[in-house]
Amino acid sequence: MNAQPFTSESYSEDARQPAWQDVLGGFGLTSTPLRTSHSSHATALSRSTTRGIRLGRLAAGAQVLSTSGHRGELPLLVLPLEASAMLRTARDQQIVPAGQIVVLPRPGDWQLHFQRELRALVLAVPAEAFRGRKIAPLTLAEARALPPEGLAAVLAATVCGAAEEIDRLSEPEWEAVAQGSAELLLTLFTELAAARPDTSASKAALLQRIYRAIEQNLGNEHLAPADIAQAEGISERYLQKLFEATGENFSQYVRERRLQRAWHDLSSPGEAAVPISEIAYRHGFSDSAHFSRLFRERFGMPPREFRRREAGMQSLAPAASGQRGWPQEALARLRAVQAKLEAAERRAGAEPPTPASGTEAEAPAEHYLAVDAERVHWGYFSRLLKPVLEIASGDIVTVETLTQHASDDPERMILGDPGAESVFRWTPTAKGVDRRGAGPLDASIYGRGAGEGFGVHICTGPIAVRGAQPGDVLEVRILDIAPRRSRSPLHQGRVFGSSVAAWWGYHYSEFLSDPKPRETVTIYEIAADAPEPYAQALYSYRWEPQTDPSGVRHELYDYPGVPVRTGSVSRSTPVLAGIRIPLRPHFGVIAVAPREAELVDSVPPAYFGGNLDNWRLGKGAAVFLPVSVPGALLSIGDPHASQGDGELGGTAIECSMTGTFRVVLHKKADLAGSVLADLSYPLIETPEEWVLTGFSHPNYLAEFGAHGQSEVYAKSSLDLAMRDAFRKVRRFLMTTQGLSEDEAIALMSAAVDFGITQVVDGNWGVHAILRKRLFGTGV
Amino acid sequence: MTKHHLPATPSTVHWGYFSKTLEPVLTIKSGDSVTVETITHHANDDYDRMIAGDTEAEAIFLWTKDAKTMRRRGAGPTEGPFTHGSGEGVGVHLLTGPIAVEGAEPGDILEVRILDTAPRPSANPAYAGRFFGSNPAACWGFQYNDLIEEPKPREVVTIYELDMTAPASVQAVYSYRWTPQTDPDGIVHPTIDYPGVRVDHTTITRNDSVLSGIKVPARLHFGTMGLAPAEAEFVSTIPPNYTGGNMDDWRIAKGARMYYPVAVAGGLFSCGDAHASQGDSELSGTAIEISLNGEFQFILHKKADLPGTVLEGLTHPLLETDEVWSVYGFSVANYLSELGPDHQTEILKRGSLDTAMRDAFRKLRRFLMTVHGLSEDEAISLMSVAADFAVTQVVDANWGVTGSIRKAIFAGR
Repeated sequence: MNAQPFTSESYSEDARQPAWQDVLGGFGLTSTPLRTSHSSHATALSRSTTRGIRLGRLAAGAQVLSTSGHRGELPLLVLPLEASAMLRTARDQQIVPAGQIVVLPRPGDWQLHFQRELRALVLAVPAEAFRGRKIAPLTLAEARALPPEGLAAVLAATVCGAAEEIDRLSEPEWEAVAQGSAELLLTLFTELAAARPDTSASKAALLQRIYRAIEQNLGNEHLAPADIAQAEGISERYLQKLFEATGENFSQYVRERRLQRAWHDLSSPGEAAVPISEIAYRHGFSDSAHFSRLFRERFGMPPREFRRREAGMQSLAPAASGQRGWPQEALARLRAVQAKLEAAERRAGAEPPTPASGTEAEAPAEHYLAVDAERVHWGYFSRLLKPVLEIASGDIVTVETLTQHASDDPERMILGDPGAESVFRWTPTAKGVDRRGAGPLDASIYGRGAGEGFGVHICTGPIAVRGAQPGDVLEVRILDIAPRRSRSPLHQGRVFGSSVAAWWGYHYSEFLSDPKPRETVTIYEIAADAPEPYAQALYSYRWEPQTDPSGVRHELYDYPGVPVRTGSVSRSTPVLAGIRIPLRPHFGVIAVAPREAELVDSVPPAYFGGNLDNWRLGKGAAVFLPVSVPGALLSIGDPHASQGDGELGGTAIECSMTGTFRVVLHKKADLAGSVLADLSYPLIETPEEWVLTGFSHPNYLAEFGAHGQSEVYAKSSLDLAMRDAFRKVRRFLMTTQGLSEDEAIALMSAAVDFGITQVVDGNWGVHAILRKRLFGTGV
Repeated sequence: MTKHHLPATPSTVHWGYFSKTLEPVLTIKSGDSVTVETITHHANDDYDRMIAGDTEAEAIFLWTKDAKTMRRRGAGPTEGPFTHGSGEGVGVHLLTGPIAVEGAEPGDILEVRILDTAPRPSANPAYAGRFFGSNPAACWGFQYNDLIEEPKPREVVTIYELDMTAPASVQAVYSYRWTPQTDPDGIVHPTIDYPGVRVDHTTITRNDSVLSGIKVPARLHFGTMGLAPAEAEFVSTIPPNYTGGNMDDWRIAKGARMYYPVAVAGGLFSCGDAHASQGDSELSGTAIEISLNGEFQFILHKKADLPGTVLEGLTHPLLETDEVWSVYGFSVANYLSELGPDHQTEILKRGSLDTAMRDAFRKLRRFLMTVHGLSEDEAISLMSVAADFAVTQVVDANWGVTGSIRKAIFAGR
């Protein structure tokens, strides 16, 4: 069976708990939430074998796991990831550190507490997993955490490895890996049980060893009880007696095991080319006619027919591509030092903005937020940032934004513009905005510069919205967009933009022409005053290594805002001669602060909005964002003059613009029954359409935990984004339009259009367009 | 230029496969136009509305214990014993054709202009003059292993009526859950695994309140139009490929032009699988499947004439509308040649948007470089800022992504 993804995103709020319990139930687990959280986000990726071995990676909020029964199974194996868990039994309690395994008897009187969040691997092995091979009647007295040494360490590493590749293994590979893990667990379990100093346990352990010895000798067609007895140092009579106590005799058991093993090989796609007679022989049947007869008696059909029926399927998953953002190793290091680092540079405390006194009922106010170094944050979102403006719901705010690509041609896009000069200011001793990206301030990973360029967008804000609380929804409606004109003496009043075919672009791995690879910057002029405004390429240049004012050399476009020096590159013209690109002015980034981490890379979009890069988010459109932190903390940036669906080369026509927005807060209590009910992702509204945003990983910060900011780049996939978009549309139609699941699916097939938003922002996007006219009156 | 009419009859249709071995049912000259009747392979989901009283449809779908007009359905084996039936349903679409174009040779491009489309009215006196279609949420749909309500899994058929009053729209009439159907040869179909099995309406439960108040704007188009491939004698109609086929793009509609690479002499054009409407992705496995007549004009572009035109270097289907050119990316660009002898089953495992996006990117880059004379860097910049990539379908084994570029962009060149 293929890997089964589960996400709570498929379900409406009230259906999430039961659905999650179903997932846990598949492992013989049940849970109770530890504390009420406004997020019921839960994901799981699990896979089973034909024999019911099930391995899963679970991620969810804080909760307590306990067993839901399943008598007679092997103990469960749980391996907490990233943070420790607390094991409580009737007798005592102990800490299970991350990366260590705990074995949990079923049934059993134990509880496993995940205090902050649940993030763990679970391996459940039913007795049938051993294909009829006997499990000696062993019992594990109580749950135990095992120190990471010897077999326990091997098993932990095996399970981690299997979970890592769970969706990339072909069917035969997966069967072999899971069976191997189950065998390790069985051996470990046998040892643990035998370690108890009573005779029944040692007898059971002996029997288990005998079973194993038989298993190893099944291919010996002349296998006799005496051989096994001798190997174990006991008499043949004692061996027979041990067997009698289990209600079976030696030869019946051996025959059953041989048939089972043959059954398994015949059903395995990996063995499809092996002749049946050879399979019979390898399991101790020298006469294939005899084997066929026994097989038919046992399984009701001859081996040939059985094999034809079992001819199975397997699937291949595409490999991951190269990645931006945090490298995995650096993230691990970061966790140790994060607290210290952030404390040093924190601009403000985590307290919510204080509500202004006595202003609740006043008329909508208009605000103007000019851009300068003090009013932007560059390359990251953070719930710790001090708001630069506080507004009330319904207020209108005009926000100046700058493109981080203005430095691609500073003379046209920065020079003479005080706001831009303030933000981009960079001398050998000072930077207008030092931190650019969510990386370390001391650039200790790559040495690119403060923040390491893990996130690149200049965001104006954050703007606090009075009274906004987690669970609310913030509506950001774009009333107008105006381009920011050049103030450079030579280009006064004209509008320019830049588009970089960068190393994170979709094309980068496969150039046709030399030099390979390369980065190319195309500077565009925007004819903003034409009757039908358009963009036209002015010139282009190949990126050449640039040394920034701090003396760091940038071989690639790996850090934002590095001023490209005239003369350091060679401009080519004409470029895209005669081609006029119609404008689609929009903001690539509209975000509220995420709750999961203190510093979040601005590149991958997710539930909080961010780098959506959807050109439908232009004048007249609105985006609805789920609020995660008090005050919401709205940030806007990454202005685009135009972009295609896909944003293939890595950037749009990046062009500084000023937007006018109406910001409306929808309180949680008012959402039920509205189109915003249950909203857990950015929802775009245009005059004609609803646009739902699907991502490879809808909440990558929660799904991957501490590794999120790295993993999200490694696991980009349109297939996953399509899956997410499908689930979101189904939920939207069921929750807000009252359709049944079947109606929702029928309507999606007939009338909902799925398109590709971007394939360059780590967390790739597929959006779904629902025309309002489908519903007659509009939604 | 001659105008032809090609009715759908047992002798002018083939079911579930393309084949270079088929005799043309009509041979035309470049420039000729043909009105082609097509009948949806889902007509038996509601025999009363979509077949009864329609002489030709009745003849094509005729299947009793003793007689089955269209025996072979699919590219699978035609010798029993069968799991599903002759042809094994490896390919499901009921296609009219093939039409041969005089002088067409491998290396040429066949342009097909869609001049008009019109629905085929019900011939049952009880529904005379009305238009019906069917939309099964089937076992090959994107949702099938990802359902949240019980029973899981399930297949559900929704019957729709098309209202041609402008603006034309489609509205659900009723739906039912698929129940195991026994065909006249005694084979039980627990799922929708073989085309043209008549659904016994005494075995199903009608749900009459479905999608009430929801009007889906019509997008009349043919899901499957294409030429015979050269690689194999019998090729399933399900996976689209370099000679077209089951493209399932609703933009291939009235006013559009499609260009197909010719792979065998005569081209051998067939079409069918008509849709009253479909969304990008065709999520549940089918569109609103309906019977349509199409009026097409065929123009043959000889290989020698291609350089310097938009068809230069074309090795895959290309769409041209008044506004855009679209290239079609597939999970596997030419699965017949890339996947070897087991291509029919191998392609079933390869459906992926990730690989289809890759293919669409490459095809659009080539198109911009060859046809519009752009450098690679120009092509990439233009694709990033002005080309739109969309999901075509995620249900036809060989999944599709289109890359589209607006024609107006080039007006000044």
